[in-house]
Amino acid sequence: MAAAFPLGWRHVEPHQERDTLSATGRDFPRGRISEITGTRSSGRTSVLHALLAASTGQGEYAALVDTQDAFDACSAASAGVELSKLVWVRCGGNAENALRATDLLIQAGGFGVVALDLAEAAPAALNRIPPTAWFRFRRALESTPTILAVLADHPLAKSCSFMTIKMPPRRAVFTGSAPFLLLRDAG
Amino acid sequence: MFACIHGPDANRLADSFSPFVEMVDEKTAVFTVTQRQIRQAESLSYPVAVAATAEAAILAARNLPGYTFIPPGQEARVLGALSIDALPPDPELFETFHLWGIRSLDDLSRLPDDALASRLGARGLWLQRLARGVFERPLHPRLPAAVYEESADLEHPIKLREPLLFLIARFLHDLTARLKSQSLAAGAIHLTFNGKEKRRSLLPFPTRDVKLLLKLVEHSLERQPPGEPISKVHLELVPTEPRRVQHGLFTPAAPEPEKLELTLGKIRGLVGEKNVGYPELFDTYRPGLARPTGVLLPFRYFRPPLEARVTSERLWTRMFQGKILQIAGPWRSSGDWWRCSDGENANWNRDEYDLALSDGALYRIYLDRVPKKWFVEGVYD
Repeated sequence: MAAAFPLGWRHVEPHQERDTLSATGRDFPRGRISEITGTRSSGRTSVLHALLAASTGQGEYAALVDTQDAFDACSAASAGVELSKLVWVRCGGNAENALRATDLLIQAGGFGVVALDLAEAAPAALNRIPPTAWFRFRRALESTPTILAVLADHPLAKSCSFMTIKMPPRRAVFTGSAPFLLLRDAG
Repeated sequence: MFACIHGPDANRLADSFSPFVEMVDEKTAVFTVTQRQIRQAESLSYPVAVAATAEAAILAARNLPGYTFIPPGQEARVLGALSIDALPPDPELFETFHLWGIRSLDDLSRLPDDALASRLGARGLWLQRLARGVFERPLHPRLPAAVYEESADLEHPIKLREPLLFLIARFLHDLTARLKSQSLAAGAIHLTFNGKEKRRSLLPFPTRDVKLLLKLVEHSLERQPPGEPISKVHLELVPTEPRRVQHGLFTPAAPEPEKLELTLGKIRGLVGEKNVGYPELFDTYRPGLARPTGVLLPFRYFRPPLEARVTSERLWTRMFQGKILQIAGPWRSSGDWWRCSDGENANWNRDEYDLALSDGALYRIYLDRVPKKWFVEGVYD
């Protein structure tokens, strides 16, 4: 092939841009695992809501595997998530079922975002997740337009994750003067 | 040729001519007839008309006495003498006809088509074609309500799932073939074992896919195995209009409905029937269910709420504790006082607070005013 080019020219692979989904100023790559980590009130849920809103706002279907039954539909709707396009799976604290449900949803295909919410899950249950589970997810996601967003207290997918967003702790913003304070923002 | 009988026993008499009878109203029946049957129709005592079109036969039978035979091409001549009121009522157009001095069908049929269409539109043109007796339409015969069900009484009770599914698969093949012959699809499956154990599942979309229906039945049997050996099986498919989907080149990708339903069926088997679905908000003030009225801070619930011990300086729960740094509230909320105090739709009466704790998190806590207990509802995130 090199001989086909004139002297001084070289073959360059065309730049392949990976399809992404933008939310809160971040580009989430499709077909990859993205992790959103942070402590309570760090804003991790607001990033997840923004991602779900971006996906469902484009007319895609999204799925949320809610390990701890923590999802608040009211604030999600307020963030722009189209609830009629969101499949909500409540796992009642069972992380093993959450992983199996996530696997089934990824295998079903057709979702823009599959969100696995493992925040607040028991550390013992998280330690029991075999690393092969993340490799399996990564393999299943390849060549699909689905984003697997994992929400957790700390990174879990390790090298299988394409992107990890660590949310720093934030301070609450109250307005007014005591005792008549009003919560305005979480940072 | 079409024949129409107009009289109190029209239904019964028409049935003696043809199984495919359209009942226009209680006293008027239309059906197709052969040359031999035309002669039989002459002997009927009720007003009977035979014509090349169904509408011409109806007009003649309703408005002309005895037996009327309209030769093809002579409809306008035979019907022309009838009053304009013989046509289906349309007060607005009839008023126009009255102003134009049109009194009979002959007057209407002699008007030029284009001029009539430009003034009275499609409805006026349709009435004119009725008046000329040339409006052709297919017959809409009444059909007996079809029931798509199969059942079997077994000599030896089935204890295993595989042979049961084999039997159900045979039923499904037969029933879907019958549905296909009528251009229908299944909207729900009703399965009854031993005449008492009833399972009803509503399909999210109409389908005739035997594999999908069988998988759904299999998932149902996996989730909830029958309580005893099966000696009698009854399967009914509820017919409905088939799904019609127009695919677009640029529409976003969505899960295939068949695959999604099977996936959700498997997940329901894992986490329970009630734990899979689409979230929905209601027109209520109940916390957690109300539709948002403005921008809300993202929130995560502790389900069930964490019982807490609260002083003016500290908060303790079984999961965390800390010093209260800032607190906003209370906001009193109550509702549904007429309901009981337990269960999913219980009444509520509480004072809510937002508080920043020394662990850096921002919680929503509330005082349940009836048992006077503190709870942490969730965390702003």
